[in-house]
Amino acid sequence: MEKVIITVLGQDRPGIIAAVSQSLFEQDCNIENISQMVLQSEFAGLFVITAPEGATIEGVRESLNKVLAAMNLEVQAKALTKPQTPASTPAVEPFLITTMGPDAKGLVARITAVLAKHGANVTNFKAVFHGGQNPDRNIMVYEVDVPADGNREALYAGLRSKAKEMGLEIIIQHRDIFDAVNKI
Amino acid sequence: MYNDQELFSTLHMLRNENLDVRTVTLGVNLIDCVSHDLEVFKSNIRKKITGLAKNLVETCNQVGEKYGVQVVNKRISVSPIAVAAAPFSPGQMVEVAKTLDSIAQDVNVDFIGGFSALVEKGIANGDDSLIRAIPQALAETQRMCSSVNVASTRAGINMDAVLRMAKAIKEAAALTADADGLACAKLCVFCNIPQDVPFMAGAYLGIGEADAVVSVGVSGPGVVKAAIDRAVQAEPDMGLGRIAEVIKLTACKVTRVGELIGREVAKTLGLPFGVVDLSLAPTPTVGDSVGEIFESLGLLKMGLPGSTAALAMLNDAVKKGGAFASSHVGGLSGAFIPVSEDLNIAQAAAEGHLNLEKLEAMTSVCSVGLDMVAIPGNVSVETLAGIIADEMAIGMINSKTTATRLIPVPGKKAGDLAEFGGLLGHAEIIEVKQAAADNLFVRRAGRIPAPIHSLKN
Repeated sequence: MEKVIITVLGQDRPGIIAAVSQSLFEQDCNIENISQMVLQSEFAGLFVITAPEGATIEGVRESLNKVLAAMNLEVQAKALTKPQTPASTPAVEPFLITTMGPDAKGLVARITAVLAKHGANVTNFKAVFHGGQNPDRNIMVYEVDVPADGNREALYAGLRSKAKEMGLEIIIQHRDIFDAVNKI
Repeated sequence: MYNDQELFSTLHMLRNENLDVRTVTLGVNLIDCVSHDLEVFKSNIRKKITGLAKNLVETCNQVGEKYGVQVVNKRISVSPIAVAAAPFSPGQMVEVAKTLDSIAQDVNVDFIGGFSALVEKGIANGDDSLIRAIPQALAETQRMCSSVNVASTRAGINMDAVLRMAKAIKEAAALTADADGLACAKLCVFCNIPQDVPFMAGAYLGIGEADAVVSVGVSGPGVVKAAIDRAVQAEPDMGLGRIAEVIKLTACKVTRVGELIGREVAKTLGLPFGVVDLSLAPTPTVGDSVGEIFESLGLLKMGLPGSTAALAMLNDAVKKGGAFASSHVGGLSGAFIPVSEDLNIAQAAAEGHLNLEKLEAMTSVCSVGLDMVAIPGNVSVETLAGIIADEMAIGMINSKTTATRLIPVPGKKAGDLAEFGGLLGHAEIIEVKQAAADNLFVRRAGRIPAPIHSLKN
């Protein structure tokens, strides 16, 4: 059987990972990767597994659901799509873009639109919106792969212009500066 | 993704705590430009320096923007001119100085250093011409800096050179009397000068260095102060050992930022990387002061008893942090205490907490020496030479770099204000004890022998 990706969503509580992994173990599935996070009080977990010969995706999902429904958790399962490999992977450089400023609707949409226009791929993103005007309470951090051969000046100008429009302070920095300071 | 603490502490260092790369300095060897013909020499040095430095400023700006860390100053250091231009007369040396100044303007660097001589053991013809040329050369140029090494632990103190430098300082001050003796702010007298200092006014490219090399000088008094304040706020009873650890870790981070920027500039220019000089170099702005660190450590004012011990701890912790961060830490790497350039130190001097004697004591444990100290204009050559000799003795005996950058402000006396402008700041003129009679000691000439611990073979 090919690889399966399982998504588990619901209110966070102790025992979720234990319940999911026990059920998968009992089905003779092998867990390859897990990533989980808690946003405010909501749990979101991603599990990439390989199931034994003869198992079906639907069967795995049903077995998990029997355990997790009692915990008010939703389960989704689907075959993991193999990534399409391009002829050659374009060279990229990792940047961290931080914005701080007053909360408003559409902040993420407008900043990511500029990134998309310049072919910059968001690889990680964290946003904290506590509302109000205090810039320290409304922060977005985008980890972005920027094409090495792209027009970086135009990207900078686009981001700065958009940030100014929204009253945000924006800081654009190559990720190496964070590595230099934090990875000693 | 980095955790919140890593992200925000890094952002705070860069945005709010005045962390910058204070200078990227391109060192250029001029020995292969030597000629007995002044015009040929001037043409050779122009061609070589502009060839290497034409993209320096633009590259620094681009790299600074990439990392979100400003490279504040872009500078050039050259081989000691007393060696490279040895055949020339004092008048011709002034011509060389003007050429260097003009080159600095052409490639848009803030300063060019290396109008220098190394005379700790004796004065050669080129050194003699250069020292004679210093007052006029500094008075008639804007961006050129000069340094003369008059002492070392291995050679002793060349008292002939000390006296001549005292005269040169007085003359340079007189020639720029309308600007409070500004020329002297571009002149350092050294003991044990390192070959790879990227900071002015002492920067020059030593004879043992590569043909061209990029070094970087990182500052960060604001970052260190903020780190101490945070640590003490979290734990008010924190002992000095733990505070030293905080300084060390902060210095390590700051050094790594500098090395990253310096290496990228060097790589882009296709040149070898030299050293990171991590020096807590203040500017005359609030939040960028070494003096403020003293207050964070608990001292009421810099200059009060305890100041020398505090500076010793600070200097040592900075060196330890820098040494761990990079294998190529060089230059001066420690804490500068330039009086006029540091708002807090200038205030301590103006309020009388810091006098010349206490400053001298503190230089025995700091990175450089009596730096940017304004003194009365009527100070005699002998007294000036005595102050320089004392400072050189501290360096010689303790096997460390010391220097003086003294400014006898023409027409002004102790308590008056000297204004130098910009990064050089302003300071109240400090009282100097002058004897009525001549100081025969400094006129005896000759060389104070090297100390016994110089015999290290």
